Amino acid sequence: MTGWGPFRLTALTMAVVVTLVSTPSGLALAGLVETEQVIAERAVRTDRARVVDFLLREDVRAQLVRLGVDADEAVARVAALSDAEVQQISGRLDTLPAGQFLGVVLGVAVLIFLVLLLLDLFGVIDVFPFINPIDTKPKR
Amino acid sequence: MTSAPRAVSITVGLVALVLLAGCAPALRLSPTPAAELPREAELADVPFFAQERYYCGPASLAMVLAWSGLAVGPDDLVPEVYTPGREGTLRTDILAAARRHGRLAVRVRTLPDLLAELAAGHPVLVFQNLALRWIPQWHFAVAIGYDLDAGALVLHSGTRARYVTPLRTFERTWARADQWAVVVLPPDRLPATADEPMVLQAASGLERAGRHAEAATAYGALLRRWPASYPGLVGLGNARYRLGDYAGAEDAFRRAIDLRPDDPAAWNNLAHALARQQRRDDAIAAAQKALGLARGDGEAYRATLTEVSR
Repeated sequence: MTGWGPFRLTALTMAVVVTLVSTPSGLALAGLVETEQVIAERAVRTDRARVVDFLLREDVRAQLVRLGVDADEAVARVAALSDAEVQQISGRLDTLPAGQFLGVVLGVAVLIFLVLLLLDLFGVIDVFPFINPIDTKPKR
Repeated sequence: MTSAPRAVSITVGLVALVLLAGCAPALRLSPTPAAELPREAELADVPFFAQERYYCGPASLAMVLAWSGLAVGPDDLVPEVYTPGREGTLRTDILAAARRHGRLAVRVRTLPDLLAELAAGHPVLVFQNLALRWIPQWHFAVAIGYDLDAGALVLHSGTRARYVTPLRTFERTWARADQWAVVVLPPDRLPATADEPMVLQAASGLERAGRHAEAATAYGALLRRWPASYPGLVGLGNARYRLGDYAGAEDAFRRAIDLRPDDPAAWNNLAHALARQQRRDDAIAAAQKALGLARGDGEAYRATLTEVSR
């Protein structure tokens, strides 16, 4: 059960809903109004919003684990994000930009290389640190 | 057979022209930024860590964290910000890791703001797409200086310390990465350019990461700059509450109530701070006040009343 199949998602949803419904509401919700909610002027979250936020967090955590992040580490990473940030990245971890630049990958078609070279010369891009653009050469 | 190479070079030229036209955004620096900005600035106190393998994220974050006074290196940060399945670092992981180390991570959104932060002595962690939209090369680096007269930006980037790049080029590579950048600061130091909502978000991020002492410090700094910040006072109260300083929390919540007597959130939290000090009657009165002010969200406040009445 390392995957995040539809069955597990459904099971988890049911578990959360059953827990919320079966707990006396006076116990489930009492607590501080979190600063994040005051900032968002969202007042107090409804039960439904709580469930959705919880599931999105769980989704991002599982995605991180699937991408090779250590299980405890994935929990800590997600815990440090706001609800809004979690909403933005949920379901998109496979496609969101990830900083990794090493250098231009060898074996790319010569045409692309030439295009990059030209663009670097014109100062549009900056993949070749050794090329100073011809029009905006820094003076230092 | 002389036409084939010529055709290739014409094609290359045309492709380059099309790309140039499509990619080059207008320079947002003109007219020149605020007059009070110094013509040049460079931070000499930002340590450089060379990037290894795909670790530009860990290296860049380590540079700004070390500058902010923490003893961390890139290797310490790899588990926190590197995602093996992506062979890289996601932007949210940079934010999360900075918070987990008790640092304020605040977004910087424009080039004039970025330069102003450098002039204020704050290095800026930047995200760039060094190549093109259709063959992206995503990269983290740390801006440490600029020279307006030379039109240059100075970066600790990849394996190069003090890499000098034209401002115009940086502006393009940065625009292709949604102009994403952050300053990573000790919690008692606010960015030069950020507005109140952005600092509030950064401070509440410290709460999220469980760094309540740093969060309290950050809210304190925020309140010195924006004394009438209701969310700032509630945040200060919440951070103190989580640190077990219930009298201090009560004080912050009461100051918040002075600002907005009709907002139930501070009353609700005040009730909890009073209950923790064994002041049951006062707590019940505050909880009733919150419930009376509630607008369709009374359930949570009723729960508070039930809890403090026990």
